[in-house]
Amino acid sequence: MDRAFERTKILTDHLLQSSPSPVRTSLSSNACFNYTPPELSEKYAFDTKEMRRLIDGHHLEVRDRLFGMMSQSKLFNPRVRGGKVFVSPDYNQPMEQQREITLKRIDYLFDRGSFKGWLTEQGEEIELRKFASFEVFGTFDHSMGTMLAVHFFLWGGAVQVFGTKHHHDKWLRDTETHVVKGCFAMSELGHGSNVRGVETVTTYDSNTQEFVINTPCESAQKFWIGGAANHATHAIVFSQLNINGSNQGVHAFIAQIRDADGYLCQNVRIADCGRKIGLNGVDNGRIWFDNVRVPRENLLNSVADVSADGKYLSSINDPDQRFAAFLAPLTIGRVSIATSTVYISKAGLTIAIRYALTRRAFSLKPNEPEVLLLDYPSYQRRLLPLLAKTYAMSFASHYLKKLFVKRTPQSYKTIHIFSSAFKATFTWNNLHILQECREACGGQGLRTENHVGQWKAEFDVQSTFEGDNNILMQQISKALLAEYVAAKKRKKAFKGLGLEHMNKPCPVIPSQLTSTALRSSQFQMDALCLRERDLLNRFAAEISHYQAKGPSKEHAFNMSYQIAEDLGRAFTDRSIFQAFAEAEATLAASSLKDVLGMVRSLYGLICVEDASFLRYGYLSVENAAAVRSEMTKVCGELRPHALALVSSFGIPDAFLSPIAFNWIDANSWSSIQH
Amino acid sequence: MSSSVSSQHDQVLVEENSFARILTLNRPKQLNALSFQMISRLLELFLAYEEDPNVKLVILKGKGRAFCAGGDVVAVVHDIWAGGWRAGANFFMKEFSLNYLMATYSKPQVSILNGIVMGGGNGVSMHGRFRVATENSVFAMPETALGLFPDVGASYFLSRLPGFFGEYVGLTGARLDGAEMLACGLATHFVPSAKLPMVEAALCDADSSDPVIISSIIDQYCEKPSLKEQTVYNRLDVIDRCFSQRTVEEILSALEREVVDQRDGWIFATIQTLKKASPTSLKISLRSIRVGRVQGVGACLAREYRMVCHVMRGEFSKDFFEGCRAMLLDKDKNPKWEPSKLEHIADTTIDRYFSKVKDEDWEDLKPPTRSKFNLPPYVIAKL
Repeated sequence: MDRAFERTKILTDHLLQSSPSPVRTSLSSNACFNYTPPELSEKYAFDTKEMRRLIDGHHLEVRDRLFGMMSQSKLFNPRVRGGKVFVSPDYNQPMEQQREITLKRIDYLFDRGSFKGWLTEQGEEIELRKFASFEVFGTFDHSMGTMLAVHFFLWGGAVQVFGTKHHHDKWLRDTETHVVKGCFAMSELGHGSNVRGVETVTTYDSNTQEFVINTPCESAQKFWIGGAANHATHAIVFSQLNINGSNQGVHAFIAQIRDADGYLCQNVRIADCGRKIGLNGVDNGRIWFDNVRVPRENLLNSVADVSADGKYLSSINDPDQRFAAFLAPLTIGRVSIATSTVYISKAGLTIAIRYALTRRAFSLKPNEPEVLLLDYPSYQRRLLPLLAKTYAMSFASHYLKKLFVKRTPQSYKTIHIFSSAFKATFTWNNLHILQECREACGGQGLRTENHVGQWKAEFDVQSTFEGDNNILMQQISKALLAEYVAAKKRKKAFKGLGLEHMNKPCPVIPSQLTSTALRSSQFQMDALCLRERDLLNRFAAEISHYQAKGPSKEHAFNMSYQIAEDLGRAFTDRSIFQAFAEAEATLAASSLKDVLGMVRSLYGLICVEDASFLRYGYLSVENAAAVRSEMTKVCGELRPHALALVSSFGIPDAFLSPIAFNWIDANSWSSIQH
Repeated sequence: MSSSVSSQHDQVLVEENSFARILTLNRPKQLNALSFQMISRLLELFLAYEEDPNVKLVILKGKGRAFCAGGDVVAVVHDIWAGGWRAGANFFMKEFSLNYLMATYSKPQVSILNGIVMGGGNGVSMHGRFRVATENSVFAMPETALGLFPDVGASYFLSRLPGFFGEYVGLTGARLDGAEMLACGLATHFVPSAKLPMVEAALCDADSSDPVIISSIIDQYCEKPSLKEQTVYNRLDVIDRCFSQRTVEEILSALEREVVDQRDGWIFATIQTLKKASPTSLKISLRSIRVGRVQGVGACLAREYRMVCHVMRGEFSKDFFEGCRAMLLDKDKNPKWEPSKLEHIADTTIDRYFSKVKDEDWEDLKPPTRSKFNLPPYVIAKL
């Protein structure tokens, strides 16, 4: 009877509420849902500013300044919802408009000196400042971030890295002031990841001292070239260099594709790549070159040059090494993607968790208030491990940035491995996190104004550009194998890539794991090292098995892809965990450290929950079950800190979305323009 | 219908109507500058009205030609001289608590800004739901000329003005008229002063706390004012270009570049104003507005309370006392700021204004808790 009465009351209230009559005084507020800001009920056990300093690590003022600059301009499309201002691109506009406004926003940032010194200054400070800036740009709009990354990292980076002094003098200042708008013509219709296979051909004409660039067939058309469809004035063109009939491999040239008024240059044909599932603010284009002539000095000649009379000269004799040097700008791109994607996970989780702290569903008993979404253990289990993962990624991304800015010629390989592993893993994680956040927000997650759903489309491309994630992950296992072979052959200790644990005795996992042990950084690290060590041994054995039977090493790699994948993940998980645990270890005892320790425990447990621990028998069935039940407990213990943990991400309210705040008022009848 | 329940000598006059309470700031000779007594009285009244179901609406106005010219800074300085900085802290603690209460008030407050509204006067009006400007309104936050910084929650309401107008208004102390206040959102309505009695009467008859209804009542008496020809509001592009710069030094050099290009009297005057203001004040004010942009109103006031305590303690600069001497006491209008130049002030010094005050039993501002009231959405959005 109670239940029936309750239902009738809810229905009656519902009907009365939805009456279209504008008589407000008849609305009684106690019958329906009231929005209470989570700040009023949740307590902060630690200083969120302190936590932000720890996870952002550097340039907080630069980030805040950029956030502020964007939120104060009409160009960034401010809209008032629920009494608060939100800035976000209007993704429902046609592609053409999205492209125009993206360019205007970029000009606004240029006008305010946001890129001063980006190409003309050097050192750790400016490089870290660039990474911090990209984290902020991406949080507003991936198209804007991508356009800038193409201009500065790919075009500007290529001029810096492949070019020599006269290129720097000629191009860098104009690039920094946007007089020159650069793009990066590497991929072709027929060749993406396999850059060495590009079919564009360049020859040298010693009579005029010019290079002649040609697109010999349709599969050689440049494809996906960001900026090329409408805006770019210059391109870095990757092409085979053919000197007197002999192919010298892939080289990079500067070619002007548009004049200062935006008209296409002679012998250049450009078409649009058309509408995409996201990232429509970027004008991706296709380029054909019909004997385009560029002066001899437009060859970016840091590794190889052609003399005036047409002789090929290179300081690096090995074409493999020569080629590897050409991929360097992609590394900074990968570092930037890896670090900025974490910010999107932060924003997505902040939105979903704030919503889950204010939205209720179902009462446990009649006449009781409905339960907050985040008070359901299953809900905690969905979101809080992702929060832990995002914290882990933050520390790992900081580690990667540091590694990059302190680079030496010797550390190039290490950076390549870490940037590949983290770029692939973080971008995959981000898509997974966004999908979970989208579902956690229910129908509200589908609305473009609430971002999380839209971001899935906007950031999807991150798993493909600057190196397909799957291919990048395969390179990890290959590189680890090379280390393994080198160590075994020369009977030397492992050094680098965090593989030093391979020199120690194999860790032993206790047969009975207590709660304390499961949460300890020691056990978690042991378990991750054990898996990595064993998989590396197995991988080496499997490769030599296939190599003995099969035609080639490449064939062996193709056949061993399953262990290769597991090994790649084992390496990445261990590296991320290590960055997290090391950051935690540096902290003095405090409430902040206690909470962060719980977050680290949760991250360790998610890693160890992976099927591979059972598949290869690193954990007994009982221990695997213990890991699972411990996770539930840690999630419950982290629940009271959820708001503080997302607030620590430091993303200004204006860059979140209406459901993160007063979503009732944002959706009220009076909020609609009648 | 209305009955007066206060004597003519009270600093705050109270008029009770059926649903509305009209509070009049009553120190016309001092342009209604807020004394400690007035602040305490307002706090008391606002707290009581919130509990009183018969009160639906609070109207706040000023007697004479000012709404309110600010906090009674001269009295505060005398108190500090007599009783140490703590005496001043006491004043600001009370004032900021009142500002917070108004910002998070569960009932609409209508402030009638028929005259001067400056400094602390903005603190008791801008946080309320409705601000009615007239042809007599003169707005300013002139604190940087006094060696202080825009306080009373200005880092909240200035930072929310369009573009970088808040930085401009806060750093230069520029005066705005009623039309400009309406244009930038500091005022919600513009009513010619002749119609004010009618607005008041209509509001007193309204049996509602619904902001939509209150707003529509005021709307009936509104006029659309036109911006004066030389209005600063037409300079928003220059303001945005210059006042979006990262530091005060960069703002000044941006303005100087503009002056070279344009030979413009207004830009020149703006530069002069900035050069006359306390360098320390300019730096902490800019930081305060920038930080305030991403903070709720409670956090803004708590931070400003820390800042104002540092200012009164005079550890890093005594500009506040020098400013009050030159502008309010000796009135020689020739303050000697120390440090005297922007470039003499390190960022680390500025940081210290934002840190906790290191003094036994000093406490951060604890604004009144608001959770027991059913706060309206426009209040929730400020938290």
